[in-house]
Amino acid sequence: MTPPPGESIAAMIRQTPVPPDSPTNRDVMDVFMTTPGLGWLLLIGICLGGLAGGATVWIYQIYKGLGIAGYSHPVFWGAYIVTFVFWVGIAHAGTLISAILYLFRAKWRNAINRSAEAMTIFAVFSAQLFLGIHVGRIWKAYFILPYPNQRALWVNFKSPLLWDTFAISTYTLISLIFLYVGLLPDLAIARDRTSGWRKALYGTLSLGWQGTSRQWKAHARTTLHLSGLATPLVLSVHSVVSWDFAMALVPGWHATIFAPYFVAGAIFSGFAMVLTVMIPVRRIFGLEHILTDYHFENMCRFLLLTSTIVTYAYLIEYFIAWYSGVEPEKTSFYLRAFGPYWMSTWIMITCNGIIPQLFWFKKLRTHIPTIFVISTLINVGMWFERYVIIITGLSREYNPAVWGHYTPNPYELMIVAGSFSFFSILFLIFLKLFPVIPISEVKELLIHDRAHGSGHHAEAN
Amino acid sequence: MPEFHRREFLKLIGASAGAAAAAGCGDKVTKLIPYVIQPEAIVPGIANYYASTCQECPAGCGLLVKTHEGRPIKLDGNPDHPVNQGALCARGQASIGRSYHPDRYRSPMKRVDGKLVPTTWDDAIAILSGEIKRAGNRSWVLSGQTGPTASAWIDKWVDAVGAGGRVVYEPFAPEALRKATQALFGVASEPVFDLSGSDLVIDFGSDFLESGPSPVEHARQLAAARDVSKPERRSARFVYVGPRLSMTASNADEWLAAKPGSEGLLALALLKVAIGAGGGTQAGRDALATLLEKVDPAAVAKQADVPLATIERVGKALGAAKAPVLIPPGVALASRRAAATVRAVLLGNWALGAVGKGISIPAQREGRVASYHETLALVDAIKGGRVGVLLVHGANPVYSLPASSGFAEALAKVPFVVSLASLPDETSERANLVLPDHSPLESWGDAEPRPGIRSVVQPTLRPLYDTRALVDALLDVARAMGPEVAAKLPADSFRTLVEQSFAGTDFYAALAKGGVFAPQPGLEVTLVPSAVDFELAEPALEGDGEFTLVTAAGSMLYDGRGANLGWLQEVPDPVTKVAWQSYAELSPRAAEKLGGLEFGDVIDVETKAGKVSLPVVVRGGLRDDVISIAIGQGHTVGLWASRAEDGHPGERRGVNVIDLLPALTDESGGRAWLLTKARVSNAGRHERLPILQDSQNQRGRRLGLAVTLQELASGGAPVDAVHGTADAVPVAGEAAPGQPAHGEAPGAAHAEHVKAYDPTKDSAPGSLYRWGMSIDVDKCTGCSACVVACYIENNISVVGEEQVRRGRHMAWLRIERWVGDGNLEGGMDRRPIFPASESSTTVDVRTTPMLCQQCGAASCEPVCPVIATYHNEDGLNGMIYNRCIGTRYCANNCPYKVRKYNWFDFAIERWPDPMYLMANPDVTLRGQGVMEKCSFCVQRVATARQVAKDEKRPIRDGEVTTACAQSCPTSAIHFGNLKDAASVVVKAGSDPVRGYHSLHELNTRPAVTYLAKVKRGSVEG
Amino acid sequence: MPTLLGIFDSPTGVAQAVTHLKGRGFTNLDVYSPAPFDEIEEAVDPKPSKVRLFTIVGGLLGVLTGYAMTIWMSLDWPIVIGGKPHASIPPYTVIAFELTILFGGIFTLIGLLVVGRLPSVKLGPGYSARFSAEEFGLIVEVPERDVAEVDGLLRASRATEVSLVAA
Repeated sequence: MTPPPGESIAAMIRQTPVPPDSPTNRDVMDVFMTTPGLGWLLLIGICLGGLAGGATVWIYQIYKGLGIAGYSHPVFWGAYIVTFVFWVGIAHAGTLISAILYLFRAKWRNAINRSAEAMTIFAVFSAQLFLGIHVGRIWKAYFILPYPNQRALWVNFKSPLLWDTFAISTYTLISLIFLYVGLLPDLAIARDRTSGWRKALYGTLSLGWQGTSRQWKAHARTTLHLSGLATPLVLSVHSVVSWDFAMALVPGWHATIFAPYFVAGAIFSGFAMVLTVMIPVRRIFGLEHILTDYHFENMCRFLLLTSTIVTYAYLIEYFIAWYSGVEPEKTSFYLRAFGPYWMSTWIMITCNGIIPQLFWFKKLRTHIPTIFVISTLINVGMWFERYVIIITGLSREYNPAVWGHYTPNPYELMIVAGSFSFFSILFLIFLKLFPVIPISEVKELLIHDRAHGSGHHAEAN
Repeated sequence: MPEFHRREFLKLIGASAGAAAAAGCGDKVTKLIPYVIQPEAIVPGIANYYASTCQECPAGCGLLVKTHEGRPIKLDGNPDHPVNQGALCARGQASIGRSYHPDRYRSPMKRVDGKLVPTTWDDAIAILSGEIKRAGNRSWVLSGQTGPTASAWIDKWVDAVGAGGRVVYEPFAPEALRKATQALFGVASEPVFDLSGSDLVIDFGSDFLESGPSPVEHARQLAAARDVSKPERRSARFVYVGPRLSMTASNADEWLAAKPGSEGLLALALLKVAIGAGGGTQAGRDALATLLEKVDPAAVAKQADVPLATIERVGKALGAAKAPVLIPPGVALASRRAAATVRAVLLGNWALGAVGKGISIPAQREGRVASYHETLALVDAIKGGRVGVLLVHGANPVYSLPASSGFAEALAKVPFVVSLASLPDETSERANLVLPDHSPLESWGDAEPRPGIRSVVQPTLRPLYDTRALVDALLDVARAMGPEVAAKLPADSFRTLVEQSFAGTDFYAALAKGGVFAPQPGLEVTLVPSAVDFELAEPALEGDGEFTLVTAAGSMLYDGRGANLGWLQEVPDPVTKVAWQSYAELSPRAAEKLGGLEFGDVIDVETKAGKVSLPVVVRGGLRDDVISIAIGQGHTVGLWASRAEDGHPGERRGVNVIDLLPALTDESGGRAWLLTKARVSNAGRHERLPILQDSQNQRGRRLGLAVTLQELASGGAPVDAVHGTADAVPVAGEAAPGQPAHGEAPGAAHAEHVKAYDPTKDSAPGSLYRWGMSIDVDKCTGCSACVVACYIENNISVVGEEQVRRGRHMAWLRIERWVGDGNLEGGMDRRPIFPASESSTTVDVRTTPMLCQQCGAASCEPVCPVIATYHNEDGLNGMIYNRCIGTRYCANNCPYKVRKYNWFDFAIERWPDPMYLMANPDVTLRGQGVMEKCSFCVQRVATARQVAKDEKRPIRDGEVTTACAQSCPTSAIHFGNLKDAASVVVKAGSDPVRGYHSLHELNTRPAVTYLAKVKRGSVEG
Repeated sequence: MPTLLGIFDSPTGVAQAVTHLKGRGFTNLDVYSPAPFDEIEEAVDPKPSKVRLFTIVGGLLGVLTGYAMTIWMSLDWPIVIGGKPHASIPPYTVIAFELTILFGGIFTLIGLLVVGRLPSVKLGPGYSARFSAEEFGLIVEVPERDVAEVDGLLRASRATEVSLVAA
């Protein structure tokens, strides 16, 4: 194109009409990032109620003392720690899907990783709540941080609880970074397509991202490195949590298998939770074409694998208890299965060990209602797994004179319910505020397929 | 910039600090005012000790009252006192609580339209003097336990005011004993037992370690007689005869579960065998020949339900014994033939030559002694309307007299009832007028446990409230009645009267020492001719039913007077480990017969006299045809005695077993307890009992170990064999009952015994001290004196029934009771475990005091994230309350489970006014949400260190001891420096055979070394 | 200097265009793309991203901090805990590990921001919502005399449209 003689080239600048927007953008933004409907408001209302209940109990507990809970010597840890471990477990799916599957280049993860990452962060928040709820003097809880003080009194780095503090807070930060880095391009998309406060919000958050090739290159590299860092981290976090128990000499806790056992359990419960949450979400928002059965089937395969690992751990525990010849160990495990807590134990074994084996059958693996039911049962089972480990261990220790019994009381259950509400509220807000499906990653696949016309992601679209 | 003056700045600082403080805590601000004129004797922060006497029971133990700035904070035993020699029982320890009891009457009270309202002394005395004038000789005094001087003056007062008379009533008065002694030797006195030299003690159910005439003294003597560290003492044996394996019986070698009431017959049968085997003195043989002819051991074996072989074996042993002592039955087995039974037993003592050695017969007491039949007579007089004014003091007859005596109803008929109680009880709450007495620590007085031993009571606390000493109050009443009455009585105060009673001795020396101690030798007694002719038949039992009701006299509540002291309620029964509640004991077979009753199932117990419902404790240590219920619960008055503190004032706590008894006496007119059969039926309900020990089966774990006498004599393998390093100790496996828990470890022969202190494993080699403890399980009787001492020394909160039910009691020290090595049974459900093996006749019960082991490699320390618990250079496992954030990880990781957690703000909630006055100022009260545990009384160590530092020397051995060690009647506990090879604790602890560490296989390197129980086995002829 | 914007609908097209332009010496160019595509990044700048430097530095800093902090703090006031040595490395390794990850992660994020020139207040020339949809934009600065040539060149490599965004 050459300018007519005498005219400046500037005269040729003109805006070309913008073609219709990408369907993927629309899919996500029109479905999620809209003003909430009645159902959403109802749901969040219920959750707010639950949260208020839990908070009230907590305040009362701080005022009156932990005695309002069902604790009883020698069971000094109860439902709070059980639920803490449960949430930490849930928190493992996200990073696993984002990081490990990213490293394995399992592209199918793209559709689910955003929601999984969000879940991770909210689960960690819920878990951290319980660290506060559990301690006897929350007003002194800051003692656990190694802050300089004139008494030169530091913290005890030999204590697994301190490892916890570091592991959990690291995990929170890294997961946040991971989520945010993933969100950046999508925030830019949102910025380009919204107005008003949303535009301001996304504009700020997207930091002026415009998808230049140097940005994409840095972005890819960052994701890669974060995955590289997050993978050992995710394995370490639940290992550390497991060491809270393995490092103690309580019969039933003092076992070297705990780290792998807990990590497997965490991934197990994490995936189950992702399924339990995403199946309704997919249904409600009609995302069958993005979140396909193929994704769910893959996750069921994962459940099958981890369930088998967990079951193996159960068996090994019993074998070692018998093989060690240590009477307290033997007794502890014998009573675990047939003692006062036999019911919890068998719920745990049924839900985590037996039922998931149904996923050997492709029919059930691909039948969404079945998946939903089973994954929910797994969540229940995993809560009971922690209950069994903690309570049976503590209630039958070395000194039979101080054998005792514990059952959670309504106060504790209200706080536990409160934490579930807390989790749901955060997730519901996230649903409405951020692209819950990683748009650019999905788009990458679409364009890639269109360009190369290859059909090896046929199921994915 | 405006000028800013230093003073303004300081003001601001002050203000903000004040604001911060005000915001920081809601506690009421109290002013600290230093002494304006420093009292000579008082140095703030330094404790003063005053000698006094315990008035909790008739034993009359000497006290050293530890006071801080004029406030008694703990009662220690008086080492100079001949009765207790420095030890003090649980009840004595707890009796300090009477002075600081929230219930106390704070002024005289009079009844105005049905309610007791405060009034002034002048008013009260005016009223009373008027009433007595009106009633004249229709006024009566019902006394309880009082010192001789007070008792004498009350009698004089009764004469002076022209009252009808006075009756002394003590539920546990040893009347049968006096009567029997009189019948045998012609003096109505209470025999004094000395077991320390004995080689065979047979207790015919007196439970002398619990509710006997002098528990502390007798525990000490028994321990001395059986001290295995002296080889010549190893032959000493202890046989218990009775239907129930009580705490006393748990310390015996052999248990003859004889049918209750057959003790006398059994005694004679044993005597016959013994004499037949050539035992006894010549005089004894001759005197008893005729009597024993009538005795047929075979028949007795049937009546008493004891195998003839056993009778013969034990009898032979009795004959062979050099210094046997037979102890006559106590409260629980006082049947309607009590006097005859006691007589038979005492006769045995005489025949075997024990009188003058193990037993001495003191001179008869002057003054009035308790009499049950007089009491019942008074009740009749009241019923007959012959009593116009009744003054009650030192006794709680409404509670402790059988309901069937009708006293409570009768009392309502008395126009004017006066109580001189210091604490409200069922009787004082029914009074028209209350003239509150001083508390035992506020008043003067004296006690005479036995002739020659006069112990003085001196006030150590300025009266907290508007109260008056009993005798002073009475004297004031007399004075108010007019000069002619007053003239008959001295114008002095009771204090002067007490001092006068010590005329001829240096009163102040007596005050310093605790009394005048000139023990008199027993009388030279001879048998009165009529001594041997008496009939001994099985006592009659009222009513019908398949069970005989045995009323156990517990070591905590005694006759019920202990029930209003929180510590005695919260420290569990030494045998069943149940606190705060009543329960009925049944044997497993009996429970089976009643439809498989389990722990906590409720039964209805019915006798002619009454009916109660209460939960059962099913345990082996009981005859199948006996139901046993402890005396002492079932009060309706009192913060802790009733259910007032649970928010149900006026409701009974537990049941009062006395309501099941008919009001009957033995043939001597003394009070009988073993009276009735009981019908028992399953009520079909279940109650959760507050129990503190979930299992008495130690499953072969190495908590309470034992050796047989043979192993000990042959210097066999250590019970806790250390092979090379402690880490290599074989782990306790399943041990068949009877085998040592650790089995015969390979190479045990050349294994070395456990070391209390291992220099190679010392984390602070530079330090002079490694505080440690040695606990002799063989000497521990399980009496729990140490537990109460620990509660009071360390300001441990009493948390109440509901919290105890949840297992939240705060005791830093507890006594664990193990029946044998245990087995792998039980634990399958939520029921506590009472091994049936308890029913074995060769007793193997081990009581192990469990406290913080101050481990060298403490498992609690590494898990604390904030270093709230750490190891100090003296080897103590420190607990920093202010640093604790309450993760409770340490408690989870403590294998001994000795850490206690403040689930609520016990320090505020559980120390009602004026209790906080008795808190030990050297120990902080722990706030809500922190962990606490035994500190080896570190405050005492600190005090000793200051003294030593001033004198520029290390702390001497024995200079500092813990509250538990100090209170122990049998000195089973020694405390000291493990680095000092010469110290008592090292000597005591380094027993080559018996020394062991609890749960050694965990390699926590405890500072506490236990010495294994010695199984002496059944007695041999 | 005039800036041309070529709009493409496939990553390969852009990549080709970029290679051609660079071949002709027009190196002052950049690409807006809705998603990452290796071929484009290869074409624009084959050198690996600098982000990795940040990660390694952060990680090393983390492990050092971890050990230094734990050991120093236990020796600053040596307190005997469970009879263990004051500075016991095995437990401290856990802390060191976590800090490695933490610092590594934070530095990586910083790396992204620095290398990706973020945050940037105003968007680049010619940027439009199309590039956050499904189209690609190749932006290239050319001397005025070469506008025509580049224009043709872009069209030749299947640009859907070409426009001048700055003179």
